[in-house]
Amino acid sequence: MVQQLAMVIDAAKCIDCKGCVAACKVANNVPEGQFRNWIKHAEFQVVPGISDNKARFQPGACMHCEKPTCVDACPTGATYKDMDTGEVVIDESLCIGCGNCIPACPYDARYRNEVTRKADKCNYCPERRAAGLSPACVDTCPTKARVFGDINDPTSAAGALYVKNRERLTRVSAQTDTLPNMYYLGDPGPGHWGGKAVVPASMVAMKESAPFIKGIVALSGLGVLAMLGRQLFAGSEHKEDTDA
Amino acid sequence: MPDKTYKRHDRSDIFIHWFNAACWLLLLLTGVGLIQNPAIDPFGSGYPAWLRSVVGGGGNLLAIHEGIGLVWIAGFILYTVVNFRGAKFFLAEVFAVSPARDMGWMLKKIVLMTLGPKALKMVGADPALPDQGYYNMGQKAFAQASVVGGVVIAVTGVIMYLSDRTFGAESTGMIGWAVAVHFISVGLVFAGLLVHVYMAAISPDERPGFKSMFTGVVPGGYAKHHHRLWWEKVRTEPEQGSE
Repeated sequence: MVQQLAMVIDAAKCIDCKGCVAACKVANNVPEGQFRNWIKHAEFQVVPGISDNKARFQPGACMHCEKPTCVDACPTGATYKDMDTGEVVIDESLCIGCGNCIPACPYDARYRNEVTRKADKCNYCPERRAAGLSPACVDTCPTKARVFGDINDPTSAAGALYVKNRERLTRVSAQTDTLPNMYYLGDPGPGHWGGKAVVPASMVAMKESAPFIKGIVALSGLGVLAMLGRQLFAGSEHKEDTDA
Repeated sequence: MPDKTYKRHDRSDIFIHWFNAACWLLLLLTGVGLIQNPAIDPFGSGYPAWLRSVVGGGGNLLAIHEGIGLVWIAGFILYTVVNFRGAKFFLAEVFAVSPARDMGWMLKKIVLMTLGPKALKMVGADPALPDQGYYNMGQKAFAQASVVGGVVIAVTGVIMYLSDRTFGAESTGMIGWAVAVHFISVGLVFAGLLVHVYMAAISPDERPGFKSMFTGVVPGGYAKHHHRLWWEKVRTEPEQGSE
């Protein structure tokens, strides 16, 4: 079975220390003011001493979705779903930073990197994984709220958690359901912070016009075929247009 | 004087035509390979994936496409420097449309080329075409599309080229539209290109015109039949015009 790299997050363990955010920025050289991951807060006010108003934290990042709307918004396939690992990957050599994918992510997991001027987001730290380490955010998490691995492999840390808790795992319910591969154990608070995937008007125009463009090219091709047919079968009766 | 030839194209004109043709072919082949999204892929085929594997990845393909595009633009800048008069003459001829004469020519020509002269006679129209100048209306229409489309394609191409080199995140709206407009303009110009290639290179009618894109000259008979208004002007000139 192919892999699906994912995170299983025990939101109840998160203490909002932002260690994952800092570790990610250092590991991935993320420019000042930009972030690949986050810890979001539930909107309700936490009142000390009242037990059912518990703080709720939602650690997150790119969710390497099953139905990634960012991939649909990319004209060149510079961002794509890797079918072997299940990751949503950005090919930086092909990305020109047109920005289409950024509003197309309902979780705001993407940004245009100020330095590279290309789309950027969590990539599960491939350099660290190649060296046998876990992603920086997972490694640094003091309460081990973030667990990373292949959820299709029950022997991996994330896979074991995933299989054991399959019934009670939740996902962020964005207005556009992209089937995110980020699973929450414990209560991450109201999940409505997922927004709506917005495909830029220019990309919509390109998609909508594509059938018309094909139609016009096809029409032109048919015209050429008609002329060629006439040339081949009835060419002899065609005389010069004016006489001498 | 049936054997007299008339000069139509300078060496720089012939160069820029074939240089443009070669660039367009390569840009089209590499550009289509850069589209990998099921909603816009022109063929819905495995062509982009195949081409990327041939050149060693999508990044290389993008670099090749950008490189050829910049050479193409540089070629046109060079041409305008070398033959500014020729470029000016070309643009003046191409955009000078005489509505009644040229529209009549265009409609009749389309019918003649697809259905034949009988179709015109059946509706009581004279199959003879109105006289044309240096360019006929079909040539003008495609040249207009090429000039306008070419400028739009070059400008949007440069915007995309600069996207990850100079532009910041605030410019992504413009860059996104550059991508869309580049795609749409290429599609439209390509539709016209099919007709241009047929008319110029395959149809026997325009064979002398095709040859002139190598030799620079056309025979008098061809000039008289196909570009009578131009022929009437140049035949009285003692010396061949430099155009």
